[in-house]
Amino acid sequence: MADFSAAIIPPGVEAASLAAGLVTALRRAGLSASPDRAVRLAEALRLIPPFAREPLYWTCRVVLVSSREQISVFDAVFAAVFDALIDPADSRGPAKAPPAIGSGARLRPSPPSGLTNAPNSLPKASPPALFPGRERPEEEAGAERAAILAMASTEERLHETSFAELSAEEVARVRQLVREIAFSTPVRLSRRTRKSSHSSARLDIRGTVRAARRAGTDATRLFYAHRSPRQRQLVLLCDVSASMEPYTRVFLSLLQGAVTGARAEAFVFSTRLTRLTRQLAVRNPDQALARAAASAPDWAGGTQIAESLRRFIDAHGRRGLARGAVVVVLSDGWAQDDPELVAAQMERLKRLAYRIVWVNPRKADANYQPLVGGMAAALPYCDAFVSGHSYAALAEVATAVRDGRRTTQERQGTS
Amino acid sequence: MSNAARSGAERDVQQLVPDVPSLIAALDDGDYLADVGLATALFLAVRLPQPILLEGEAGVGKTEAAKALARVLDTPLFRLQCYEGIDAGEALYEWNHQRQLLGIRLAEVRDAALNESDLFGPQYLLRRPLLQAIEHPGPRPAVLLLDEIDRADAEFEAFTFELLAEAAVTIPELGTIRATHPPVVVLTSNRTRDLHDALTRRCLYHWIDYPAPARIAEIVRRRVPGSAGPLAQEAASAITKMRSLDMAKPPGIAEAIDWVSALSVLGITHLDAPTVEKTWGSIVKNRDDLELVGARGAAWLVGDGHG
Repeated sequence: MADFSAAIIPPGVEAASLAAGLVTALRRAGLSASPDRAVRLAEALRLIPPFAREPLYWTCRVVLVSSREQISVFDAVFAAVFDALIDPADSRGPAKAPPAIGSGARLRPSPPSGLTNAPNSLPKASPPALFPGRERPEEEAGAERAAILAMASTEERLHETSFAELSAEEVARVRQLVREIAFSTPVRLSRRTRKSSHSSARLDIRGTVRAARRAGTDATRLFYAHRSPRQRQLVLLCDVSASMEPYTRVFLSLLQGAVTGARAEAFVFSTRLTRLTRQLAVRNPDQALARAAASAPDWAGGTQIAESLRRFIDAHGRRGLARGAVVVVLSDGWAQDDPELVAAQMERLKRLAYRIVWVNPRKADANYQPLVGGMAAALPYCDAFVSGHSYAALAEVATAVRDGRRTTQERQGTS
Repeated sequence: MSNAARSGAERDVQQLVPDVPSLIAALDDGDYLADVGLATALFLAVRLPQPILLEGEAGVGKTEAAKALARVLDTPLFRLQCYEGIDAGEALYEWNHQRQLLGIRLAEVRDAALNESDLFGPQYLLRRPLLQAIEHPGPRPAVLLLDEIDRADAEFEAFTFELLAEAAVTIPELGTIRATHPPVVVLTSNRTRDLHDALTRRCLYHWIDYPAPARIAEIVRRRVPGSAGPLAQEAASAITKMRSLDMAKPPGIAEAIDWVSALSVLGITHLDAPTVEKTWGSIVKNRDDLELVGARGAAWLVGDGHG
């Protein structure tokens, strides 16, 4: 957050245009702020007159921000807009930032140019930030996006070929197929009840009495209710570090298909963790991938599996997302961090999750043995270990997700 | 939102909460310490009026903020704890069927005349928090707390918001009940899932940050009688220090309060390594964390200075 120097808004600026200008600037920076927010802000500013920067900051933030992730972007835009406005001679403001409040329409620059210069953004090669999604190095994301968005033709042999050996056109085709993979998780009993005709279910006294009342007689027919089954939450954690790069382009489509088709939660990680559910939840796949690429800042970086898992568990998993869920980790297990730490985090995850499926494309290699490093440490906590390196192999992933608690090995052993 | 929500707060409320500093003072009188950000958020929630969504780590006082707000407005607080599968019967209203049946039987036994309207009278209506908040007769609006809204299903979220936007409920047997004083709505979320856009669009939003040691100490002093002196400050800085460790469950304000209460029950007025070791259980609630903190040692925790 920038300094709260006691600066005062010039008297000529009125609340409505101030609100409209800030909302416009935020929208240019990629923060969805609908026009009704501007109306609300104008009203709020009537209640809290903006005499100093601090009340103005809080008023705007409370009205315009709707999640924690947006706060850093908001801070940057707020600083860019108001520092220039409050003190026009101030040269700290980014040159490309909106020159003044309520200025005329202008083409929306695809990367929010104001942001990269804003005082709040961090240097590119910084250590993992405290929260995911804080910074957005746009150039990197742009290049990645271009690679991801390549398009082309179809072939059957693609099914068995490892993703790493596919050309750009083939990848595009496979991605289309992969997106169609339907995931379904094991069910659990929800707290919701359904009417049932089986007397083995619990007697629904309220339902019975209600029916009797409607009929105007004593209770002549008994109603039962059973707890309705519900699919477990599916959580996908995808490694997007450099070593996984040949596979990520396809796995991202898998993530997108799962998010739109099976209401899964999707995260990517390499040196930090980014939640992508939101970005991937649009129907248009190209748009989804572009949005995803833009919001995860650490594509093709190093891998910190333990650290990423810890962040996932602390910020999301233990709050309920991983509880009783099927967690799929897509990673080659080549981690920079200590295997012991990986094991510790996997143990925590194991305590929360119903089932952990680990997808490792290196497993396809006949000589591959998960003996070293993070993979060896993680393996004892996995319920299933599959390769998922080709389209055909992804079917195994779908099976592993669908299976009950028993491991695939056990299943093969008993049948 | 309806136009009614745009007309601003009632005069009574306006007088009670004229501006942000006075709200801070009033919350302070009710033993709730709010910073400018939170106070601005609550002020706007009351005065616009507009529902407010509060998020923050466990134990930063999200629920407490709603309670404090109710104290400031001197109105009742209706709290709805959300959980998966919660439905209208538990949130809004339900007919008390058992009692209705009993009423019929009694009428039969006594040979009394019984009309249908008798059976659907208010005495047979089980009022749940949403209805209670809407029915609240005033003179000022009630505070309605929808706690952990992210635990409820998405459909329930939508249902609740429709209801609150209308500020009216239609019960087929009784007719429409319209709120004379639409409640001040506070929602809290633990971020287990993304809330629906429709909800976030209608809400103000505030992220409550974890407070600095001085503020924790102040909160503890307010909440634990007889914890004046250095104990609160010492406990607060110990807990802040502990939060710098990489713990699975970092202690929050609630733990600080529990801990200082425990210490004062034990008659301890000054924190040192042996007392910390005796009372780990109040602040560390996970075996891994206990090992982690134990490795650093209690002496480190109460170590001199703030380093």
